[in-house]
Amino acid sequence: MKKRLLGTASLALALGLGSAALAEGYKIGISNTVQGNGWREEMICAMKAEALASGKVDSLNIAHRNTDAAGQLEDIRNLIQAGVNAIVVNPTNADGINAAIKEATDKGIVVVAVDQAVTEPSAYILSNNQEEYAYIGAKWLFEQMGGKGAVVYMRGAAGAGADNDRDKGFKRAMAEYPDITIAQEVFTGWQQDQGKQQINDIIAAGVPFQGVWTSGIDNVIVDAFTEAGAPLVPIVGADNAGFVSQLSSVEGLKGAAVTNPGSVGGAGVALAIQILDGKVPAEKTVLVDPVLWDNTTEEGKAQIAAAQNPNLSPEWPVSVSIPGWTTYTMDQIIACKGPGE
Amino acid sequence: MTRFLSKNSRTVGLAALLALLLVATKLIQPDFGASGLESLARAVLPFAFATVGMTIVVIAGGIDLSMAAMMAVASVTAAVLMEGASDGQAAIAVLGVLVLGLVMGAINGTLIVLTRVPDIVVTLAMLFVWQGVALLILNAPGGGAAPWLRDLVVGGVVLPGLPTALTEWLPKAVLFLVIAVALIWVPIRRSRLGLMLYAIGSDQLAAFRSGIPVGLTRIVAYALAGLFAALGGLSVTMGTGIGEPIPGPYLMASVAAVVLGGVVLGGGRGGIVGPVLAVFILRLVRMDLTLLSVDPNVTAIIEGTITVAVVMFGGLLAVRGMQK
Repeated sequence: MKKRLLGTASLALALGLGSAALAEGYKIGISNTVQGNGWREEMICAMKAEALASGKVDSLNIAHRNTDAAGQLEDIRNLIQAGVNAIVVNPTNADGINAAIKEATDKGIVVVAVDQAVTEPSAYILSNNQEEYAYIGAKWLFEQMGGKGAVVYMRGAAGAGADNDRDKGFKRAMAEYPDITIAQEVFTGWQQDQGKQQINDIIAAGVPFQGVWTSGIDNVIVDAFTEAGAPLVPIVGADNAGFVSQLSSVEGLKGAAVTNPGSVGGAGVALAIQILDGKVPAEKTVLVDPVLWDNTTEEGKAQIAAAQNPNLSPEWPVSVSIPGWTTYTMDQIIACKGPGE
Repeated sequence: MTRFLSKNSRTVGLAALLALLLVATKLIQPDFGASGLESLARAVLPFAFATVGMTIVVIAGGIDLSMAAMMAVASVTAAVLMEGASDGQAAIAVLGVLVLGLVMGAINGTLIVLTRVPDIVVTLAMLFVWQGVALLILNAPGGGAAPWLRDLVVGGVVLPGLPTALTEWLPKAVLFLVIAVALIWVPIRRSRLGLMLYAIGSDQLAAFRSGIPVGLTRIVAYALAGLFAALGGLSVTMGTGIGEPIPGPYLMASVAAVVLGGVVLGGGRGGIVGPVLAVFILRLVRMDLTLLSVDPNVTAIIEGTITVAVVMFGGLLAVRGMQK
């Protein structure tokens, strides 16, 4: 028994020495708690690609699994033990992982929370600007509707931080267009089947409306219109591959995709590297502003055409990079390889 | 001494494996020390309580699939009650949550005994019930935890009268675990109740004919599992400072640790120490894989493989022991 155990130990030792050999550039840790979701997988690949493209990162320690806040505390503490210089984290909860973040920053580790905010003041936050996301989409929609009429307001999940922020942006746009009213307000829970059922009910009920704003559950809404043979109204969605391809293929559809890039993960790695290089941003919170691609202008059509890539996973948002932040190429993010892989 | 070793070969083997893994961790990461042990202990805590609870029902010949869901109920209840509460109120809330755990477990056990539906079916159904209850109490992560409670498991042990350096390396979380388990389990194990739990797990009919109240003993086993689930849920809230209504990955992990720890799934054989050591081993493997920056999609495969390998190895030892 002893021999076998010794064998295991020496194997572990060999593995360990192999990876801990040289240390020149930065060592960055990553913690994510949702595995097997297109948006999150794109985020991880963006992190790997940015670390590789920067040329300043030697190795990534990635803790990427389905777990809760307690599990993320464990992962962050393990990353601290691994001696990383920075940790980029997509927090499972705004409050639940503060203890481990504080332990990391106390040890001089740079912590960047991406996608969602944390309340620990020593962490940097790099997130998509969700309020702006809703505002520019709604504004475009209200313009298309001629500034008057009723809109179907299909929100995300009740109580989610991103949904609350988006609601603020939507209401801000509403305030600018006083003749716009809400025909129906529903929570899709960001579930495709639920959203489709809801729009089917609304179409069947004959409620008059002149536009649909969605919080990213978009392609099934277009499907519902075409399947029911109902006249299309302008629709706003996110930059999910399915909806973006509908924008260029569905006859008579006027629509716009607002970007909500999973590549914010890559931007988070870029920010962490900047801070390690000594370029500390003035604000602890950095918001990435979304971009709107509509299929009613030539410019928008060109952007939609450029964004489509048959090599991209259909589950991924098509905005695979964030101008001004990420430096990798399309091929690098699709390859999904980090330094040393 | 040899008798002790051969009787507890599984536990001794697990302890040796844990020691070797600690040495390997130190070799992988030369900085690994007290703070690493402390991180490990805090990560272990909720898993260990879930495992102890699961071990007790498995020894008594059952299984409780609602373990993680009961932890979620305990966690959100504690977090809701403690938000903005004074220290004294928080202490009452903790006691209340422990009682709640006992009650949830007793409900599971009573349903099993009364309906005569197999344990696995009842507790699977109760998994959904407790999940729903947790969401009803708190539909999104939130609430709070009393600072004194959170401090209970942070840092190393400092005992008055002893030099700090002597005790500091021992994480408070380990002490918390040992005291909680010892206070509840040791008196039971040494009493008639402990014998009865093993007896009904071994052979229900024989136990019945020996005059053991089988139904009642089963209910007690589930109630104890509920109590440890409450401790597990509390330790989640102590670690995060919030309550989480969605159950964490504690069910499968606890079953794995029970098996790894040498408890026979049919019941009647095994102890508490083995499964708890197994929890430490599984968490340490996770830490080592992170330290080695192994591809995250491969880590789960490795964790599973290690479990199977150790269980098979243990089985081999058991067979050899029998041949002697």
